[in-house]
Amino acid sequence: MSALQQYGLLLALICGVIGLVLILFALARAIGRTQQEPGKNVPATAGMPSRDPVWVRYHARYYGYALLFLAFDMEMAFMYPWAVVYRQTGLVALLDMGVFLAILFLGLLYGWSQGAFRRQ
Amino acid sequence: MNTLVIVLSLLAGAYLVAVLEAWLATGRFRLAAPAWAAVALLGRESIVPRTPDRIFFETAPVLLLVVALLVSAVLPLSPGLIIADMTTGALFVNAVLAYVPVALLMAGWGPNGGYALVGGWRFLGQTIAYSMLIVMPITAVAMRAESLLTTAVVTSQGAVWNIVYQPLGFVLFFTAAMAVSFLPPFDLPTAGGELAGGVEAEYTGVRLGVFRLGRMVLVVSLAAVTTVFYLGGWMGPVLPPWAWSAIKILAVSSTMLLTGHYLPRIREAHLLAWCWKLGIPLALLNIFIVGVMVLIWP
Repeated sequence: MSALQQYGLLLALICGVIGLVLILFALARAIGRTQQEPGKNVPATAGMPSRDPVWVRYHARYYGYALLFLAFDMEMAFMYPWAVVYRQTGLVALLDMGVFLAILFLGLLYGWSQGAFRRQ
Repeated sequence: MNTLVIVLSLLAGAYLVAVLEAWLATGRFRLAAPAWAAVALLGRESIVPRTPDRIFFETAPVLLLVVALLVSAVLPLSPGLIIADMTTGALFVNAVLAYVPVALLMAGWGPNGGYALVGGWRFLGQTIAYSMLIVMPITAVAMRAESLLTTAVVTSQGAVWNIVYQPLGFVLFFTAAMAVSFLPPFDLPTAGGELAGGVEAEYTGVRLGVFRLGRMVLVVSLAAVTTVFYLGGWMGPVLPPWAWSAIKILAVSSTMLLTGHYLPRIREAHLLAWCWKLGIPLALLNIFIVGVMVLIWP
C-alpha cells in the first residue's frame, strides 16, 4: 500500500467516526428531544451563575516548564531520524547525540537552578 | 477487512475495559453494565450550556474518539493485521497523541463553565509533564528497531522483549501512557470529587457518551501501544498471534486501571516536578543505556 493510500484510509477512518457519532446523535434525538426550561443551561458553578466571566486570562503557573518544554520538543524532532540510522552510524552517532543531549541537559540543570521547576 | 476487524476488536476491548472500570468502581462484576449505561446516556437529555463556543463544544468528544482510533490504526495486532503500516508509524503515534490535550482543552473551553475550564488548563500542564516521557522512550525503541515501522518494532523484539531490554523506558512509558489517558492517579482534568467532573462537567447525554467512549478507546489504544513497543506485540508460544495481542492488551489495560485504583490523585505541580526533575533525566539515561546496548548486543 502506498503512503497516499494509507493516508486515504486514515481519512476514511476519520469520516467513519464522524458518521458513527452522527448516527448516535440521531438515535438520541429519536428517543427524545431536550426540553428547554429556564436555568437548565447554566454551567455548573456551585448552584448559581458564575459571578465573573469564565473566559479570562488564566495564570499558567507552569510557564517555567512550558519554556523548557519548547526546547526539548524541538530536540525530539532531531532524535527520530537519528534513532533510525543509529546502528549503521555506530559510535559516532552516540557521541554526536551525546554532546547535543549533554548541552541540552545542562540547560535543564541551569533552568532548575534558576527556579524554573517551581509552581510560579 | 483489516480496518473492520481492528475497529471492532478495539470497540470490544473498550467495552471490556469499561466493564473492568465499573467493577473497580462499584465492586460488582456486571457484563451488561456499560451497555445499560450507554442506553441511559442515549436516552438522557443532552444540554448545551447557554453561551458556549459551539464549535469547540461539539468537536471535543469527536476529536477524542478520532485520536483514539487513529493511534490504533498504525499498530499491528498480528502479522499483516494492521490498517496502515506507515513508514512513520512510531512518529505518527506521537503526532496523534498530541491531539489529546487539544481535545480536552476544547472540552474545557467550549462550555464556558468554570470547573470545565480549570480542568482543561490543568490538563495542558499535565501534557507538559508527560509528553517528553512518551517521546523519549519511543526514541529508544526506534533505536533498537532501526525503523519507525511498528511491525519492525515488533520483529526487533524477537530475541528479547523490550520490557527486559529497556525496563526503565517501559516504566516511564507506562506511567506516561496512564497520564495521557487521564486514568487515576493522573485524572486531573476530570478529577471526580474535586472539580465536579472537570472537562466532563458540562457534557450530558449522547455527547457525554461519545466522550466516555473516546476515553475508553484511548485507554485500549495506549495499552496496544505499550504492547507493541514493549511486550513483543503478537509474539508468544502455542496460541495464535491475535490471541497474544488480545491477552497482552487486556493485561496492560487492567494493570493501568488497578494501579490507579490504589493510588491517591497527584497534584499538577507535583506531577510536573516529578516528571521534569526525575522522569526526563531518567529518560535521557535510558536513551544512553539503550544506545550502548544496541552497539554491543542488538
